[in-house]
Amino acid sequence: MKYILMMNTMRAGQGVPTWPTKDLQAHIGFMKTLNKELRESGELVAAEGLAFPNQAKLVRAGSNGLPITDGVFPESKEFLAGFWIVDVDTPDRAYAIAAKASAAPGPGGAPLNMPIEVRPVMSAPPPEMM
Amino acid sequence: MKYILLMSGTKAGVDGYHTWSQKDIETHMAVLKGINKELTESGEFVATQGLANPRDARLVTGQKNGVPVTDGIFPESKEFLLGYWIVDVATPERAYAIAGRISAAPGPGEVPTNMPIEVRQFATHG
Repeated sequence: MKYILMMNTMRAGQGVPTWPTKDLQAHIGFMKTLNKELRESGELVAAEGLAFPNQAKLVRAGSNGLPITDGVFPESKEFLAGFWIVDVDTPDRAYAIAAKASAAPGPGGAPLNMPIEVRPVMSAPPPEMM
Repeated sequence: MKYILLMSGTKAGVDGYHTWSQKDIETHMAVLKGINKELTESGEFVATQGLANPRDARLVTGQKNGVPVTDGIFPESKEFLLGYWIVDVATPERAYAIAGRISAAPGPGEVPTNMPIEVRQFATHG
């Protein structure tokens, strides 16, 4: 069964974090190791990081069919920072991987304990969509 | 450059979708299917995925000992990801144009949903 693990921690207008380089490197090193482990166990389907929210745009179709773009978001909006898609045997395994990602080190090497949203994905795109 | 087009909605919005008539759902899906086909033909299609119902969502944090703590309670206002498209396009404007097409997909009575689509660039893999 496939699950998506989402890091939704960033806020509107946020750019590159102001952590010391050493802390950023430790954080990225942790994520690389996690991805390597999941690749080796055959559970990793995809992992992507998104650019910072200060580049996000909200797009709607105008009545003439042309896109209307807007870069203004409510303060409370959660932005996706990145995600993993994993193919695991049980929901509990997906939660265990999420807990591992949650404990990624932040400033000073302390675990961030950020919440990770875990959702089942449809096992394949619905056939009528392909 | 790779972009992800995110379609999100509240639980109430998802419940609303489940009240659409079969005909309206089929028309909506046919338009999305046409967009996917065009993107595949233009070489811009990377991936698309629909997510299961938000009622199955869990929020997970790790305890000190690494044991996961799960919680299924979210504020009413929370926007859940419903699905996404990943496209590989030459310009941001092209990503916005594709998002505009998705936003114009028909809803009940073939009226465009005009759903807002969040467009974000990938930090990884250029």
